[in-house]
Amino acid sequence: MSRLNILFLAVFVAVFVGVTLFQPDAVQRIQRGAMRVFSPFMRASTGLDSTFGEIGGDSLTPVELRARLDQVMRERDRLRLEVLQLDELMIENRDLRRALQYVDRSTLSLVPCRIISRKPANWYNTVVINKGARDGIQVDNPVVVPVGEQAALVGKISEVRADNTSVVLLLTDEICQVSAKLEGTREQGIVSGERGMLRGMPNLRLRYLSKEAEADPGTVVITSGTGELFPPNLLLGEVVEVETGAIDAEATIRPVVDFDELSDVFVILPRAMDATGPGTDTSPQDPDGADGAVQPAGAPGDRGEEP
Amino acid sequence: MIFYLFVFLAISLSFFVQEFVPYFEWAFFSRLLIVHTVFYCSAVSVQFPVMLLFAVYAGFIWDARYHVPVYTETTLSGPVQAELPFGLSILIFGLMGSFIQGVRPLFRRGRWEMPVFLVGLCTALGLILEYLLICFHRGGLEFPPELWWKLFMTALFSSLVSPFLLLLFSRLADRVGFKIRMDGITRRYQYDGDAF
Repeated sequence: MSRLNILFLAVFVAVFVGVTLFQPDAVQRIQRGAMRVFSPFMRASTGLDSTFGEIGGDSLTPVELRARLDQVMRERDRLRLEVLQLDELMIENRDLRRALQYVDRSTLSLVPCRIISRKPANWYNTVVINKGARDGIQVDNPVVVPVGEQAALVGKISEVRADNTSVVLLLTDEICQVSAKLEGTREQGIVSGERGMLRGMPNLRLRYLSKEAEADPGTVVITSGTGELFPPNLLLGEVVEVETGAIDAEATIRPVVDFDELSDVFVILPRAMDATGPGTDTSPQDPDGADGAVQPAGAPGDRGEEP
Repeated sequence: MIFYLFVFLAISLSFFVQEFVPYFEWAFFSRLLIVHTVFYCSAVSVQFPVMLLFAVYAGFIWDARYHVPVYTETTLSGPVQAELPFGLSILIFGLMGSFIQGVRPLFRRGRWEMPVFLVGLCTALGLILEYLLICFHRGGLEFPPELWWKLFMTALFSSLVSPFLLLLFSRLADRVGFKIRMDGITRRYQYDGDAF
């Protein structure tokens, strides 16, 4: 090996060691800079993806389109009425609370976001969303999506990369661990994904259940709120089967969220932070057309921790 | 020099192209790692010191864009140890680039089978190295069948694209008069008449 090669090899090793010793703050600054450069391309990629995804998709006849439009308009009218009723109820509720000097216990506030990049990392189940520090999003904020009339957990914020970009670590990743319980029972455990599970809809594992745990297939699994990172009563999945071991039991869970079909999600912010942060509007914002509010499955103020 | 500039531009451009490369659900979310493929293809043609420089550049930008900061050790002052350290890609690119440099004589002679195979192999090896590090941090070695499929498909995508890139680099090297030098590895293969 020539001297020049040895010299370059030594420099290479020195640079590598130097870079790996970067502090997390420095890494974050570098990644923010990179995100500023790449985010327009990520958005363009998502735009292309959705455009091409629509081509050759559901092609409907004019009659079918008309029928669908009628159905949507009927639904819109129904929802308008519902909103009016809810507005009245909200005003009434506010007045009553004020009258009773009610202390607002609700700590949740939602920021609607759009997914701009899917599975960018090789070994981590992550997505990138279009909201960041500017909207008050912080690391570990829970991310949810409406499923029916309830909210289901998607994951948590693993990194806020820029003012308008954050990384969500999905529930299907092994490293995203959530305290959970079987609905209607006192059985609690930890839900996480499995390493190397690369299927579209990988099952989850509910570990550390008591040995006596009994759950029929289909039993709903929800967040327990014990860890205080995730609010209680968010949907996680349904039990597929329970395996009882020597000292504990483990359940296989089918997630309720279709992680491949995710496009719009909601980040839960603590209300106090939201009120002081830039996004002071407590009503959900519109993420480029995404609209709608979502509430956790339980009452918003019910944060009573299970034993 | 013009050739090196072209390689630098090709690696830079590949980062933007990578944003538009989809993953395939049927292939267990594998996708073409175009940055890796471009780098490994260029590593066959450039000299060792230049390859190392490109490894630092490509690895740094890759981690700046794709590194997921999952910290396994936290102290009172904050997180200290990332599961996959920032900068690991520099090492992976450097290691695999050095490995692939061994087939430069074949590439120079127009034999592309081995470089094409090695581009795929190095892509897969880089991925498995990352996976092994994750296993090391989390404990327990788990190798589900999907993992092998993901590695195989990613390697296959790289191998399928690499002939076009090798052709591109080869043509450009001819055009700009760049000679693929084989310092360090030529001597072993050189016929020495005095030996007889």
